[in-house]
Amino acid sequence: MTPRPPALVPARTALLFAVAVVILAALPPVLRLSPYSHNLVTLTFLMVSGALAWNWMGGYVGQVSFGHAAMFGLGGFVAARLMLLEPAPPAPLAWLAGGLAAGIFALGAHPTLRLRGPYFSIATIGLGEAARLLFTYWEDFTGGASGLSLPIDADSKYWLYWWGLGLMAAVTAASFVIRRSTLGLQLLAIKADVEAAADVGVNATFYQDLVFALSGAVVGVTGGLYASYFSFIEPNDMFGFDRSISLVLMSVIGGVGTIFGPVLGAVVFVLLRQFLLASYPQLYLGLYGLLLIFIILFEPLGLSGLGFRLLRRFGRGQKAAAKASIA
Amino acid sequence: MGRFVDLTVSAVLLAGLYATMAYGLGLIYGVLRVVNLAHGGVIMAGAYMGWVLHSRAGLDPYLSIPLVVAATFGLGVVMYRVLVRRLQRGAAGGPASLLLLFGVWLVLRNAAYLLFSGNDQTIRTSYSTRALPLLGSFVSVNRLAVLAIAVVTPVLLHLLLTRTYLGRAIRAVAQNADSCTLVGIDVERIYTITFGIGSALAGLAGVLSATIFSFNPAFGSGELLKSFVVVVLGGLGSVFGAGMAALILAVVEVFAILILPSYLTAAVGFVMLVIVLVIRPGGLFGQRVLG
Repeated sequence: MTPRPPALVPARTALLFAVAVVILAALPPVLRLSPYSHNLVTLTFLMVSGALAWNWMGGYVGQVSFGHAAMFGLGGFVAARLMLLEPAPPAPLAWLAGGLAAGIFALGAHPTLRLRGPYFSIATIGLGEAARLLFTYWEDFTGGASGLSLPIDADSKYWLYWWGLGLMAAVTAASFVIRRSTLGLQLLAIKADVEAAADVGVNATFYQDLVFALSGAVVGVTGGLYASYFSFIEPNDMFGFDRSISLVLMSVIGGVGTIFGPVLGAVVFVLLRQFLLASYPQLYLGLYGLLLIFIILFEPLGLSGLGFRLLRRFGRGQKAAAKASIA
Repeated sequence: MGRFVDLTVSAVLLAGLYATMAYGLGLIYGVLRVVNLAHGGVIMAGAYMGWVLHSRAGLDPYLSIPLVVAATFGLGVVMYRVLVRRLQRGAAGGPASLLLLFGVWLVLRNAAYLLFSGNDQTIRTSYSTRALPLLGSFVSVNRLAVLAIAVVTPVLLHLLLTRTYLGRAIRAVAQNADSCTLVGIDVERIYTITFGIGSALAGLAGVLSATIFSFNPAFGSGELLKSFVVVVLGGLGSVFGAGMAALILAVVEVFAILILPSYLTAAVGFVMLVIVLVIRPGGLFGQRVLG
């Protein structure tokens, strides 16, 4: 008898996931969240989606991109331009169009994908910065340094909560499925050794293109929702290096390459950022720097690694530890 | 014609600065296989050190060079001993070292914000605005001095690497660190010194830029990328290659003004970086190892 492969999505996980989504969806009316918390949670949903999508490339494939802001910005501006049309298409359509544009744009990075490790990372810095300058210069599209204002009223901003939740749920589910599917194994093989992966028939070029485009498209959709959330966007912010870095930081804080690490990382990142900007704006950069240094030196898997370690200490972590070792 | 000469002269002067920025990055990568993302931060730190010595102690920026070089050498040694050395073995070239050194850069930037605020600073000396006539155009004295130092630096570096025991040891470690331990070279010590020298070169580039450009705590990111273009274009560890690559970058950037709006000339370097990485990852001047 051949052993049955494990289910792609175990029933228990699916159930837990559904319950979590329902709870989050019911949160605002049940708890009567203040507008401030309501918006903060919305922003967290968006950042979680972005971080998870970055992790597909940076974690699953192991190609650390410092240039994802290009897709974030492009998605945001395409969506914004569409929403400024008369008559405007429905917002979700504009977001999807932004994501599509960003995904296609990401395919343009194809030549850089044969670079590996630090070379790839540096090339993405170059691409990201070049994109920022070009789009800031292209005033007809992005409004230049003065940016664009979007027609967003309080009501549609209120509903962004559930759109954001929907996006996050979809991206989280996708992260889980990608990691556990054959595709996930192929990505893991590429991460471990490109040449060896090619020897066993994994088309590294194709899968890297695919994942980069998917990751770019999701980050683009996130950018579109973000544009609606802030209702004013400006290319130097949307395409800024800090934006790329925040995606990297969220994943690193939560645990690069783990399935749910980026979720944790994004939540911590958004809350920490909110707190720091309010209380210690002058220490904001440096604390992220220190956090980065400490995580890399002491716990390369970030908060997830810390979690695995705690589980191990209490004797229940054999399975978790095994998972961590391949991440 | 006059404009052509003007642009050529300013490209050559700029090339000297670019080459100086790049030597440190290339040396550290050549020996340790670590991309020092904190390089831009050290350049920025060097600029501020020169500025502090000039504005507080009244020291001429060119006379402050030895002090700044010594201080940034120390900074590099500390960075290596305290942080880089602790990276997991085999992880040195990977994303971990990039992220670690990026963290260092953020800390350096934040420290500069706290100490000096985010305002733009400049070093103004009595000769800052003086210019000499040369080939029918005028050349700033400052830029000539920077070029002179930029020409002397690689010569000294080359002599250090080829004529001294330390230099030979550095080159040996770059070729094969394991064999070096067999013949009694203290590899860790060489790594430490190399990281120090690389940082010192970044510090030097920082003071030199500070005499020409204004700077703030975010200064150094463009410089890092330009250094990277030069290192990649020039091939690793080739001092001659770095000089040529710096010249190419400077010429392309300066002449881009003729066809591109000035705002976009900054993008030229980034685009070149990507093209060079993709087409010639080994550099135009080969992959010779140091010297």
